[in-house]
Amino acid sequence: MLNCRNLSKKFERSLFDKLSINLEKGEILAITGPSGCGKTTLLRCICGLEKLDSGSIFLNGKEITNSPAEVRNIGLLFQKPVLYPHLSVSGNLSLASRDNHDKALTEVGLSGFGNRDVHTLSGGEGQRVALARALLANPRVLLLDEPFSALDSDLSLKLINDVRALLKSRECPAILVTHNIEEAELFSDRIINLLDSIN
Amino acid sequence: MNSLQKIFGAIAVVLYTIITIAPIVFALDRLILVSGFNPTFWVQSLDKNYVSQGTIGFTFIQSFFSTILTILIGFPIAWVLGRHSWPFKAFLRSILTLPFVIPAIIAAMGVLTITGPYGLDIRTEESTWWWTLILSHAWFNIALIIRFCEPVLSTLNPNLEEQLLLLPNGVTFYSRLKNLWIPVLAPAVAAASCMTFVFSFTSFALVKWITVRDKTLESTMAEVSSSSGIQGYMESSSDIVLGASLIQFLVLLISLWLMSVLQRKRQTKWQQASENLVQNKNTKGWLVLAPAIFFVQLPLLSVILGSLRVRDASADSTSFKWSTAGWSEALQGSYSFPPLSEALFNSMIYSFTTLIIALPLGYALASTIHILEEKNLHLSKILEIYTMLPFALSAAMIGLGVMLGIIKLNPSAAYDFWFLPVLAHVIITVPFVVRIILPALRSLDLNYEENAKVLGMSKLNRFLKIKLPLMKGSILVATVFTLAMSLGEFGASFIVARNSEWTTLPLLIDSLRGKPMKDPLTVPASNAVATVLMIITMILFLVVESFRNQKDRGMF
Amino acid sequence: MNNFFLTKVVIVTLVLTPLFSGCLSEESSDNELVIVTYDVNALSDSMISQFENNTGIEIKMIKVDDAGSILSYLIQNEGTGTIDLAIGLDNTYLPTAIELDLLKEVNVNQTLLSRLNSSKMQPLKPYEGKLATPFDMGYICLNYDSSVVDGLNFTVPTGLWDLTEPEWKGKVAFPSPITSSPGRGFMLATLDYFSWQSNDEDFGNWWTAMKENDVIITSGWSEAYETHYTGGYGEYTEGYIGDAHITVSYCHSPGVESWYNGNWTKSASLDISKTAFFQVEYASAIKGGNSENAEKFIEYLISPNVNSQMPIENLMYSVLEGEDLPEENGYRFHSLIPSDPALISNHDIGRNMELWLEEWNLAMTKSE
Repeated sequence: MLNCRNLSKKFERSLFDKLSINLEKGEILAITGPSGCGKTTLLRCICGLEKLDSGSIFLNGKEITNSPAEVRNIGLLFQKPVLYPHLSVSGNLSLASRDNHDKALTEVGLSGFGNRDVHTLSGGEGQRVALARALLANPRVLLLDEPFSALDSDLSLKLINDVRALLKSRECPAILVTHNIEEAELFSDRIINLLDSIN
Repeated sequence: MNSLQKIFGAIAVVLYTIITIAPIVFALDRLILVSGFNPTFWVQSLDKNYVSQGTIGFTFIQSFFSTILTILIGFPIAWVLGRHSWPFKAFLRSILTLPFVIPAIIAAMGVLTITGPYGLDIRTEESTWWWTLILSHAWFNIALIIRFCEPVLSTLNPNLEEQLLLLPNGVTFYSRLKNLWIPVLAPAVAAASCMTFVFSFTSFALVKWITVRDKTLESTMAEVSSSSGIQGYMESSSDIVLGASLIQFLVLLISLWLMSVLQRKRQTKWQQASENLVQNKNTKGWLVLAPAIFFVQLPLLSVILGSLRVRDASADSTSFKWSTAGWSEALQGSYSFPPLSEALFNSMIYSFTTLIIALPLGYALASTIHILEEKNLHLSKILEIYTMLPFALSAAMIGLGVMLGIIKLNPSAAYDFWFLPVLAHVIITVPFVVRIILPALRSLDLNYEENAKVLGMSKLNRFLKIKLPLMKGSILVATVFTLAMSLGEFGASFIVARNSEWTTLPLLIDSLRGKPMKDPLTVPASNAVATVLMIITMILFLVVESFRNQKDRGMF
Repeated sequence: MNNFFLTKVVIVTLVLTPLFSGCLSEESSDNELVIVTYDVNALSDSMISQFENNTGIEIKMIKVDDAGSILSYLIQNEGTGTIDLAIGLDNTYLPTAIELDLLKEVNVNQTLLSRLNSSKMQPLKPYEGKLATPFDMGYICLNYDSSVVDGLNFTVPTGLWDLTEPEWKGKVAFPSPITSSPGRGFMLATLDYFSWQSNDEDFGNWWTAMKENDVIITSGWSEAYETHYTGGYGEYTEGYIGDAHITVSYCHSPGVESWYNGNWTKSASLDISKTAFFQVEYASAIKGGNSENAEKFIEYLISPNVNSQMPIENLMYSVLEGEDLPEENGYRFHSLIPSDPALISNHDIGRNMELWLEEWNLAMTKSE
């Protein structure tokens, strides 16, 4: 489904070099590595927010290496949820799709939150709204940039399970980057260590 | 930077150059043609001509003392307002910072009414002229001190002070002052002082009306501008305008540079909460706030009262009666003095047209600078300074530029082109729009834009649904600021608006005042016009205040 | 701010653009008369609308600050053909305008103005050619507050040097000859007073002495008269300071005061030889402009109906034969006709004005 071939990116030092990733339909992959090793940059390159030095990315057999982010249809969950303060929860969701807000909110366990002001959400709730929004956009791949790391452990555990279940039920492939091995094991089908892949 | 952005940015820069820089170049070209290129001579001519003798010294000295007095009056207000909780705090702050948007000519009318023979009757004292000018400048600019210092005080993490109280070096008030308050507040105070100095330095309407004998560089320029730029006729006028412009340009450039250094400093250093953390009440603070409110509102009140107080015209008596005759006079108008409604209409159309041009242009420039900051820092710095150039020019110079420029292009436009004053207003307001929009663009969380991209939103959609709404506050501030500045603009309009059909509210106030005051209705009529202008400005200001986001800590 | 903001901006811009282009392309028509003038009261509403109604000519006014600005404006717009008529150049500025060849001859019947031209003294004669037509006049001279300058508190000056005495320190206010035409007129009078023709240095010395005696120099007439002068109506005005008992105004200003105050004034004119300057204000057609319409307006301006109203409408003398100030409320009674006004010819003014202004400037900036 998603083929990344020989991805390289330098940023003062080499972050990843000739890294190849293959993601099957419905597969959830975790990429681990210590902070600052280039995990986030990798995701940003895959979804198109940053340019690769070299390498190519294929989605369903079509090359998307040079397509702008907004047409790739690859979703991204940021480390801290990015919610637009000028919009309500529902307004934030409508940035992805006009319909099915109730269903999407129920899926993430926040039914009835549509009219809430985003200021009033807790960290976990915020991340769930961001997830609901990302899924509403029907991404062909969802990228997750340590979205659970800012939450306390009970909450993150629950969220990890919920998100995994949701992704599996939709057969949406996903890549999670995290420095937390335990989290990676719980969430994913397969784990790559970024440092291993460099060396 | 993609090609669309490039084209967009290039159009904005070209348009800005045509509208703003070209007239100034025309003016300089014409003046230098007359005076020759000899900057030392220009500056020396200021002291060689009786008209401008002593203006350099006076301009510097009054700006210096205006700045000091502004801090002395403004700081206690900012402190009390920021360090304690107040009922209707936002409203209090609005009232106290209102003078900043009130046109200078209105303040001048107010001061004259207060100090004049039917007020305190202290204008006969020579010292009055000096300290009323300084005090008027303080009246204007305390808003800057409040705006810059109050948020620092009210959002400073209280732990910082609490921790210090528990440390050996923080037990005394003095030590806390030294170790906390001065380092925290110094950049804000310094930045506000810088701006106060600049505004006092280029003061025109207040100097024209309040000060006697002494003149600032700006008011001197306005006085001789009509005879400048002419070869073989009163050439000293051109020397004076060039000399005064050069000094102003340098002073403003240095101040702007200082400002930007200070602003960077005060943004980064201290831990600030996103909301108001100060909770304690302080009833004694009213001892500062109540007189401050009185001080701020007095000139405005006196303008309103002055519009209703009519001198009894009989013989040499000095009795007064309350009457709306001044208003009728202003509403009626005459050939030389258009009716209030016409001036109001002109002012409205001029300011809205100014807005329609200056806001998109300023936004486009700010956005181009912002985009360039990532791609080409040098170019963005150059462009940023380029957009600030009009700041360093006096209104008189801008007026002169527009005038000479239009004569060169199409002479009949000087009286036929009804929108001519708009050009001057655009030149004056565009830099402000850039200054307001740019920090807001910079403070926009990059994640917002990126997240919208991965959600698949198109460029236009991102602009309309994400950027504009997030920038709402700043755009509104820029809108109101542009409208208010255009409505109250006096210096440049004074030179540009030759056709009496183009009279704006401030020009009408000025020309009504300039009319022989034998007519007892002259003063009430001019105060009536001033009242209208003041009320419009106040409404605009209150609108922007009610929308002002707590987190907005831009320049204004 | 909503999503429609941008749309709105675009729409409004589109709507306004034609307005702009309309304004730019507008050509001046035959039925238009462009007048450049300062706020002369001579051009009253009723008078202008009457002219417009009678002739069908539409008047466009360009207002500048003062007579000097009229001249500057004419020079700046020279050769553009955009101005038809200048109203308010006086005999301190007119010679320069003629020297610079800015004006155009018109054929206006000046027979009614015979009184002016009958003056026997050449230097007092106003300009007589076809380039400019006088429409009002008056003498510029020193005015004093007779309630203070009564011979007890202050001695009534009998010569200009008296004003350099300590008792007058800071008590005299003059409008500046650089920026004001009454100021210019008075400066010209002092030239004659100190007989510049014999190359006397007294002119410069007197002005330097005045400066050392803290003379108040204001940018315009109104600031000197309304803000500083104690003898006039200024004391009823809000900017009033009242620190000068002598100022420069018109010899008939006390008459105007009296006329307004119901036959009472404390202001009086000083009749000192060679200190009064005879000022005439002119209307002139401008080169390149529509002289036909200009001519019509000038004729209208000096027609008996209009011009006889000058003392009331414009507070100046009419230029018509047989007209005088009204007797009512002591207008004429309190208006002095100077017995020995300064004699400076138009020719000399045209040739030397710049030079004299430089001399004045030098005298005023001389360090002690």
